Amino acid sequence: MRILKKKSWELPDSAATSERDYINRRRFLKAVGLGSGALLGHSIANAATVGFPSPLNSAYKLEGLEPTPYDLVKGYNNFYEFTTDKGDVQELANQGWKTEPWEIEIKGHVDKPMKLDVNECITKVGGIEQRVYRMRCVEAWSMVIPWDGFQLSKLIDLVQPTDKAKYVKFTSFHDPKSAPGQKGGGIDWPYVEGLTIEEARNELTLLATGIFGKPIPNQNGAPIRLVVPWKYGFKGIKSISKIEFVTKQPLNTWQALQSREYGFYANVNPEVDHPRWSQASERIIGSGFFSSRKDTLMFNGYSEQVASLYKGLDLRRNF
Amino acid sequence: MNGIARFLKKKWVLYTLLLTPILYLLLPQARSETEFQADPAKYLLEYIGLSATILFVIALMITPLRKVFPKSPIIKAFAFHRRQIGVSVFIYALLHLLIYFAYTGSWSGFVKDWEKLFILSGIIALILLLVLAVTSNNRSVRALGGKRWKRIHRLVYAIMFLLIYHQATQEKTGYQETAKIFAPLLILQAYRIGLYGKRSLDQRSNDKS
Repeated sequence: MRILKKKSWELPDSAATSERDYINRRRFLKAVGLGSGALLGHSIANAATVGFPSPLNSAYKLEGLEPTPYDLVKGYNNFYEFTTDKGDVQELANQGWKTEPWEIEIKGHVDKPMKLDVNECITKVGGIEQRVYRMRCVEAWSMVIPWDGFQLSKLIDLVQPTDKAKYVKFTSFHDPKSAPGQKGGGIDWPYVEGLTIEEARNELTLLATGIFGKPIPNQNGAPIRLVVPWKYGFKGIKSISKIEFVTKQPLNTWQALQSREYGFYANVNPEVDHPRWSQASERIIGSGFFSSRKDTLMFNGYSEQVASLYKGLDLRRNF
Repeated sequence: MNGIARFLKKKWVLYTLLLTPILYLLLPQARSETEFQADPAKYLLEYIGLSATILFVIALMITPLRKVFPKSPIIKAFAFHRRQIGVSVFIYALLHLLIYFAYTGSWSGFVKDWEKLFILSGIIALILLLVLAVTSNNRSVRALGGKRWKRIHRLVYAIMFLLIYHQATQEKTGYQETAKIFAPLLILQAYRIGLYGKRSLDQRSNDKS
């Protein structure tokens, strides 16, 4: 027969907290406002709220293209800071991660470096506007999204870069406590992206603070993210906390991870395949099982605005 | 234990178990997932592919598990169904290919990607699975002779490496998922090889004395 004998360090059962007291403790935390509601941030206002409703810029309304349903835009997200499961980002990014207040630091080769709150930043550049852009993911799917934001060039004009500024380096947030994906995943956090100064100054390059006329949901990169519609989606770094003007080409996160598959430019190009799949066509998100694909357009259909940036550049090598 | 084993030995129980991945898709929960609504073909492609891989791993774990637990009636029940499980791997893999066809949207798009090792590894694995599936009946064993039949069916190990490659390449950061799926199988197979090596060593020292 086996006899259970308590070790000297084991507590008697009578020392355990009773269920009644345990439940009272929960009620107490709730009463003082520390319950899950407060801790998980459900009641906290998130993202940047200045500038809404924003006027539509009719030069960018993509006539004839239906925007992707809002629920899919905010429910199907690549945001590895939280999880690699596109359908689960929405939940995980709204469990206490605070995107308001949010400070952005702008530094490097600029005459007027600054550190300011995102709402203040929106006011300084003169508010936001709405633009409808095509969005093409490197995974060969696409959406049409009405963004609210401002042209990056407006911010560049404010900080006045010097001649030494050849590239713009963007760095996202780093907070593994709120963003569980940052605890590992084989990625060197925080997420980094970069553009040439000419790309950053292009009329299409946007810093977005909203989608569908509302403040941008956390999972879409609150409170401020980059939108570069002629490049693959991963160039659109989310939740930016630092913008630096530098001389050397920044090493972006995906290039650092897999330089054979992802480069610095990442321009949408139907003629240059990904090593594992063709980039010649794309699946339209929300269009069903048998929906045929549509052909991918050079520079995602924005050749007119950006083709001149890459004159003389071998796009097959500089993918 | 014996009761569970007897239950597991029933044909309808086996077929229900093999159909669970598809039965799950009939639930409204599965189809309300955003990933399903965003791109159902991609969702099904990955889901059915993963089901095939997991069934493959289960099928290949049965024999080494019998070596580890020679007396377990439950494992014996699984061993009893081993060939059917193997055939179901082929059926899921074929389904995966058909969905891939729908996913690419056209014949030209479908064929174009075959040159990519990622796609090619899957197609070769499927062809080999077809060979095993059509020779999985007793008639084939008799026609081919036990020895030759066994030699042909050792192709499962080639399929295993193709599947590891196929699964690992579709991961974007690291290989954690592939490692999780295949680790139990690889550990069991290593144990089996170790056991086999030890036996042949023992035999050799016996021969000497």
